[in-house]
Amino acid sequence: MISPETRLCRNPQVVARELGESEGGVLLHLASGRYHGINTVGLTIWGLIEEGCTVADLIDRLRDLVEDPPPSLETDVLEFLMIVHERDLVIVEQ
Amino acid sequence: MIRNSSPGTCFGFAVRSALPFHYLRGGGDGQTIDISAPSAVSDDQHGEVLLEWTPSSRFPLAGSLVRADPGYRLWIETWGWFLIDPETPHVTLPDTPNVVRREERLWSIPAMLCFLARGDTALHAAAVEVDGRAVVFGAPGSFGKTTLAAAFHAAGHRLLSEDTTCVRTSETPLVVPGPAMLRIRHDVAQQLEIPHATPVGTVADDRVHLALDPALRGDCNPVPLRAIVLLRRADRGFRIEPVPSDRAIRDLWSLSFRLPTDADRARCFTAVADIARSVPVWNLHRPLTMRDLPATVEYVVQHA
Repeated sequence: MISPETRLCRNPQVVARELGESEGGVLLHLASGRYHGINTVGLTIWGLIEEGCTVADLIDRLRDLVEDPPPSLETDVLEFLMIVHERDLVIVEQ
Repeated sequence: MIRNSSPGTCFGFAVRSALPFHYLRGGGDGQTIDISAPSAVSDDQHGEVLLEWTPSSRFPLAGSLVRADPGYRLWIETWGWFLIDPETPHVTLPDTPNVVRREERLWSIPAMLCFLARGDTALHAAAVEVDGRAVVFGAPGSFGKTTLAAAFHAAGHRLLSEDTTCVRTSETPLVVPGPAMLRIRHDVAQQLEIPHATPVGTVADDRVHLALDPALRGDCNPVPLRAIVLLRRADRGFRIEPVPSDRAIRDLWSLSFRLPTDADRARCFTAVADIARSVPVWNLHRPLTMRDLPATVEYVVQHA
């Protein structure tokens, strides 16, 4: 379960690549060979996770980066993080 | 037949060898690759098997790729061992009287391993030069890339690669020309006149093996990559559509050659994503008939 207190980092078995402007990016999970497309906001979140951070920190930083953040930002981010966690793209730090 | 001690270039390598070659291009610039024979490896030598394959349309003979020190050993059914040291680079070939087919094998996996070590990327694709830039044809199915490449050659465009395309992912992606050969099916050869090319080899198989005239081969200087065209079948008419980058990655990934290691998968993925980001990728739907080939060439030149 992902909560605001959860601390996340990227799975080192994942390679990310940005695509063209407004095209987001792609993530390749090396062990499974599966790749996943993410939109520009997802790519921004991926960038924020780089150093490892709590979900609450991530949401705060994203709110600063996004112009006119929607009221559902926190819910949207939590949903996104649960998906990428389920796909083993991020790791919950103990 | 070209035969001398410094015969030419392929995939950007300046070949140094006393062996006969049929498909090299001009020029002598680039990293030297030593090619020698015969390889002397007994079949009971073991190592980490990286790849194994059974006969398929792409690799008609069974084979295996084994890690060695240095480099790799490639075993191909009926041929024996190719020893590949990509770092030097140096490839040692098995002994055989069938030097044409052996050279064709050389410019497949052994050459790929050497140019991957140089930082380039291998795509299972053909490439031609159109107005000074390269157009790459990938056929996710078996949809006639070699036949189309032959039609481009017949229409006066330089053939850069027939089966394996070497892509350099610089800021502007480039294609490094490969062997100057065409291997087309007999039924295609009967229907499509291929000018400026000479049949080579004496061992019959399901293909006509052609060496392009030396005057038309050019050298191995990289050619800027204009577009990648993925060949699809259409019942009638032509249609071309851009492929979004994320979908293009899927197709280019399936066309790419990579070793089953995390490091090589990461390298390949990065290269493929960079190509998809910076080069237009198209789906070309076209009739798969011989009589439509000239129109297909014209359509690609105009639209891709």
